[in-house]
Amino acid sequence: MLEIKNLHVKLADEEKVILDGLTLSVPKGEVHAIMGPNGSGKSTLAYVLAGRPGYEVTDGDILWNGESVLEMAPDERAAAGIFLAFQYPMEIPGVAGLTFLRTAVNAVAKKRGTKELTTPEFMKLVKAKGAELNIDVEMLKRPVNVGFSGGEKKRSEILQMALLAPSLCVLDETDSGLDIDALKVVSDGVNALRSKDRAMLVITHYQRLLNHIVPDRVHVLAHGHIQKSGGKELALELEKSGYAEYKSKAA
Amino acid sequence: MSMTPATPTQLKTKAEAAYAEQFESALAGLPGAADARRAAFGRFTAQGLPHRRLEEWKYTDLRAAVKEALPPAPAAKAVVAANEVTAALGPLAVIDGPRLVFIDGHFSAEHSVASAIAGLSIATLANAAGASAPAGDVPATVALNHAFASDGAVVEVMAGAKPTGSLVIVFLSTAVRPATITTRNIIIVGADAAASVVEIHAQIGTASTHTNTSTKLQIGDRAVVDHAKVIIGASGAIHLANWDVSIGIDALYRPAQLTPSCGLARHDVNVTLNGRNGKLDFSGIALGRGSDHIDTTMVIHHVAPGCESRELFKTILDGNARAVFQGKVIVDKDAQKTDGKQMAKALMLSPNAEFDSKPELEIYADDVACGHGSTCAEIDPDLIFYCRSRGIPEAQARALLLESFVGDAIDMIDRPDIRRAFTEIAQAWLTHKSA
Repeated sequence: MLEIKNLHVKLADEEKVILDGLTLSVPKGEVHAIMGPNGSGKSTLAYVLAGRPGYEVTDGDILWNGESVLEMAPDERAAAGIFLAFQYPMEIPGVAGLTFLRTAVNAVAKKRGTKELTTPEFMKLVKAKGAELNIDVEMLKRPVNVGFSGGEKKRSEILQMALLAPSLCVLDETDSGLDIDALKVVSDGVNALRSKDRAMLVITHYQRLLNHIVPDRVHVLAHGHIQKSGGKELALELEKSGYAEYKSKAA
Repeated sequence: MSMTPATPTQLKTKAEAAYAEQFESALAGLPGAADARRAAFGRFTAQGLPHRRLEEWKYTDLRAAVKEALPPAPAAKAVVAANEVTAALGPLAVIDGPRLVFIDGHFSAEHSVASAIAGLSIATLANAAGASAPAGDVPATVALNHAFASDGAVVEVMAGAKPTGSLVIVFLSTAVRPATITTRNIIIVGADAAASVVEIHAQIGTASTHTNTSTKLQIGDRAVVDHAKVIIGASGAIHLANWDVSIGIDALYRPAQLTPSCGLARHDVNVTLNGRNGKLDFSGIALGRGSDHIDTTMVIHHVAPGCESRELFKTILDGNARAVFQGKVIVDKDAQKTDGKQMAKALMLSPNAEFDSKPELEIYADDVACGHGSTCAEIDPDLIFYCRSRGIPEAQARALLLESFVGDAIDMIDRPDIRRAFTEIAQAWLTHKSA
């Protein structure tokens, strides 16, 4: 279970407060959506969960399976099962996708105390996961994300997610830059990874992603904290009324 | 002023004066015409060691760096075992093809593997006819090379010949006392031929060495030449290298250099595109830490029209290391439709490292496309975070990113065995870094 308690976050080198008392729980087996207007702190929440440098938690805590992750390095969080699918996946020229992924999978295996994979074992796993998710693994022969289309980058993120077998998936604006076909492939991939042992937090500005990845709960984030929570119908309400109600609260 | 002939008035330092003495006593034992060597040494005395007031040597003051003229290395007395040579070559030992080994500047038949190969004529400077020091003005370091060269490879690839594998030329230093090793190679590749040449400078001796090496390479029309150069296992030394290359009509030249920590290194790379539609694809990697100083100074001369030149130069610097990249592209009036691009990128791992990048374009033709770029940065923290978010620990993430940084320069190498060896040598350097 993910428990975020009264989380206060500011930028490390500025006074600007971004998250201002955010409280949220996501039990295993559930998919929760975070929706909110631009600038509400959605991406900050994703980054803080993954441990990106540059943010300072001034109050509150993040617990994963009952343990605080705040003192954990990003790679330790990954080993603990936390995975962030980036809104803008990074390009790494000169490193083949397969090399990158094998390094990651084995680094995580080492920390989790499971067996590291040989190259043939790893290739077998990649092919199996690719087939499961309907993702062509050929792209992994190219340098990580270099020259990939928006759809390819997101597919590559989902494949990485499947290979690292996380127990908490955070998807940051996974729908951005996707056409409807790519959206479907990516959503099917995410749905295939839904399981009773896995919690998912889907961050999005638009309701359309939630037609494909149907959430158990929807939370509206604005002004740095959760303004309203509800079932999946809340997303449809927002689609009709927009975020005006939450924006006006700021004024 | 630097080219004024005659009188040795330029010899000012102790080292320069010592070279004059050493030359007189060494001359009798050196191959080729003595007069030609005297003329070459005269060209050196007229200039002296290059210093920072000369534009091309602004960042590498050899007059200051060469505090002492180390005596010419004697022919190795100690027996060198085959496995010592293999060990010194490290990942390069597996490169396939005929091998010429020079130990302390002298040909070693014992360690060379060069049975008769169709289309390939192999000799050494010490026994080749016509390998005397050439006439004509040359810079001081080259003049010194011509005066002192004790041996080197003299190779001809016959027209149309395409020998398999690479011609591997190994210069091994075994010196246990400080010494200077001077070698000179002459490589001629005939029309329509295809050849790969690998120059390796390796060290098993413990003494600090000064190396002065030169390679003259003439590439015939429509020939394809891969030319790799790597320094391995050297430390605290001075390495001076000069390449003088001419490219014929429709010919393709792909040089690749890898210079991991080796004290002071200066590579002068002079390439002349003499024939229409010739092509140059240069990739270079400099890896420095400690007080390493790695200077690569190129002059790309477009004489003929329609030629293409590409230079990609990657540098990683740590500690107080310094690297220099000077890339001058000259486009003659008749070299219309020249397409020249140059890129020099450096990653700085320490605030005390220094990268001096100086591109220069001298264009006399009016219909050309020439460009250059240079960047100097730290490792992108966002990329480190991306790797770490996938479970890769920080040190490993840094190593991976550094590897990726030099990876695209290595990817330009056509031969897989050379590419693998370069990758391993670069990785070994990087691992030492992140350990």
